Amino acid sequence: MGKAAIFRLATCFDFLMLVLGIVIAVIALGYGFGSFGRPGPGLYPFFLGVAIAVFALFILISELRSDNHKPILETEGAITLILMAATFALWIVAMPLLGYVIVTLLAAFAFCKIMLLEGWWKPLAVSGGTALFIYLLFDYWLYIDLPRGILG
Amino acid sequence: MEGLGLLYNGFVNSFTLVNLVACFAGALIGTIVGVLPGLGPTATMALMLPFTLKFGATTGLIMMTGVWYGAMYGGSTTSILVNIPGEAASVVTCLDGYQMCKKGRAGAALALVATGSFVAGTIGILGLQFFAPVLGNAALSFGPPEFLCFMIFAFVLLSNLSAEAPLKGALMIAFGLFLSTIGINPMDSYPRFTFGSEKLMLGIDFLPIAMGLFGIAEILSIALEKYVKPQINKIRFRDLYPSREEVRRSVYPTLRGSILGFFVGLLPGPCTVISTFVSYSLEKRLSKNPEEFGHGAVEGVVGPESANNSAVMGSMVPLLTLGIPFAAPSAIMLAGLRMHNVEPGPMLFTTHPDVFWTFIAAMYLGNIMLLVLNLPLVGAFAKIAVIRPQILMPIISLICLVGVYSVRNSIFDVWVMIVAGVVGLFLRKWKFPIAPFIIGVVLGPTTENSLRQTLMMFKGDVSLVGDRPVSLTLLALAAAFLAFKFAAPLFGKKFPLKIEEDSKL
Repeated sequence: MGKAAIFRLATCFDFLMLVLGIVIAVIALGYGFGSFGRPGPGLYPFFLGVAIAVFALFILISELRSDNHKPILETEGAITLILMAATFALWIVAMPLLGYVIVTLLAAFAFCKIMLLEGWWKPLAVSGGTALFIYLLFDYWLYIDLPRGILG
Repeated sequence: MEGLGLLYNGFVNSFTLVNLVACFAGALIGTIVGVLPGLGPTATMALMLPFTLKFGATTGLIMMTGVWYGAMYGGSTTSILVNIPGEAASVVTCLDGYQMCKKGRAGAALALVATGSFVAGTIGILGLQFFAPVLGNAALSFGPPEFLCFMIFAFVLLSNLSAEAPLKGALMIAFGLFLSTIGINPMDSYPRFTFGSEKLMLGIDFLPIAMGLFGIAEILSIALEKYVKPQINKIRFRDLYPSREEVRRSVYPTLRGSILGFFVGLLPGPCTVISTFVSYSLEKRLSKNPEEFGHGAVEGVVGPESANNSAVMGSMVPLLTLGIPFAAPSAIMLAGLRMHNVEPGPMLFTTHPDVFWTFIAAMYLGNIMLLVLNLPLVGAFAKIAVIRPQILMPIISLICLVGVYSVRNSIFDVWVMIVAGVVGLFLRKWKFPIAPFIIGVVLGPTTENSLRQTLMMFKGDVSLVGDRPVSLTLLALAAAFLAFKFAAPLFGKKFPLKIEEDSKL
């Protein structure tokens, strides 16, 4: 990920917060501002929206004037982040279908490999141990009924 | 005398198997978390919230506080032995702790720190025991204007002390306050920012946000770092005896750190971290040999370590007496208590006195447990520091996933946690502090209620705040703080209490 991309990302976030603040203030006005003596449901979020917009504007200006735009993620780090996030997302999507034990086993294995735990035995042992620990913790100790999926 | 009777009842209640186990488990987990560079006490407490639901509010509170001050005990171990702070409040300990280790005095340093932490913890509990009911009684006379001004005061200090750039802290507080407005407003049953979604009607649950911002963000952050195996110096039990001179030099710094830490704990912000910096500079200033600091001065180790333990107890005062958390871990505790339908605040001492006094008694026991755990097992805890994150992080990730799902059986909550985790990672990289955000989320409803009630009380005339001495004092303090902050650079002085929030707060 290049410097320009990171610069845009940080600035985009500040800009997004500025827009968000304005949107919150506008929507809040629609809820009814009321008066200071009889505040409506929109009064409090209106002021919060204004505060968010003002703070974000100042941060955005200082960000644009700053020379310090060090990259926060190298390419390798960005790939790791995407793979970690994808594994989390896959766990969420697959858990109701396959059941939490199988998905936990697979996800733990994936996390080990993404974080570069070398070999096959160590990742297998960690993922097997994690799945067993979570099964014992939630099923036997806490009596929480979690989706079992194909294991019924 | 009534206090002693209540404390006795507290001891009776805390001597149940479940409370003793909770206290021990919290202390043990806290020590391990403190030792491990990575996951901090706030993330661990957020992660443990779902498990406390199985037990009562008191048990949950005992366990969580055990984690928090257990982490303060454990954090010093890696600072002294490996020069890696286990958590943010142990950064200062590295300066002289590791130098003592290099001189072969690691065992003595660890023993003095454990003893100092025990003394500080006990002084902190005594302070909490005496101050909290008094302040709680005083707070009974507080109305909405006082609470509102208290929160304004807290927000001003929090945004300035938690972040490198105060505006970023202020933005995070405002955004946290906004997030708490999503859902049906309990004051007038009006749905806000729900956009027709049924899931948003009940609002955004605190737990997935906290677990995402502190737990998942931390895991992602560690996953992106390159792992360097730390070298641990071996410690034998017989090495733990400090010399007579070391004991003599540590007595007053321990006492000073304990008292100072407790009062710093009363302030909004990362109190445990601030207390260590303040204590270190105080000890250096008072020392007859300030040149020894940075080269293994025992005062520079025991003072800050005592201060951070005592600060934990100090920060419990505003939480329990006013229901206002001034630090991220106490915000997690407030959320935990609310999950058990216990609302801390002035009424806690009349509606749930058992919660407070059982908690106090359990803290005395927990402090003894921590001393017993930390002295003989210091070698074993040091070995935990070498467990690779590639093994630990997958386990913690999955506990987060299953844990947050198990609370409401909600896939939506898991999505919220993951999104919060990824956003949290970038916020940390861009130096946006997380603690003010989470405190904003927790205090949002109280702030809005106080604001609306105040406005209605004064019929819209906010100048009437001037007629309320407590409110006026708090606003004046906030204004004075801001004035000092802005005026200091004009006179060529840097503001001394600028603490950059560590990811592990």
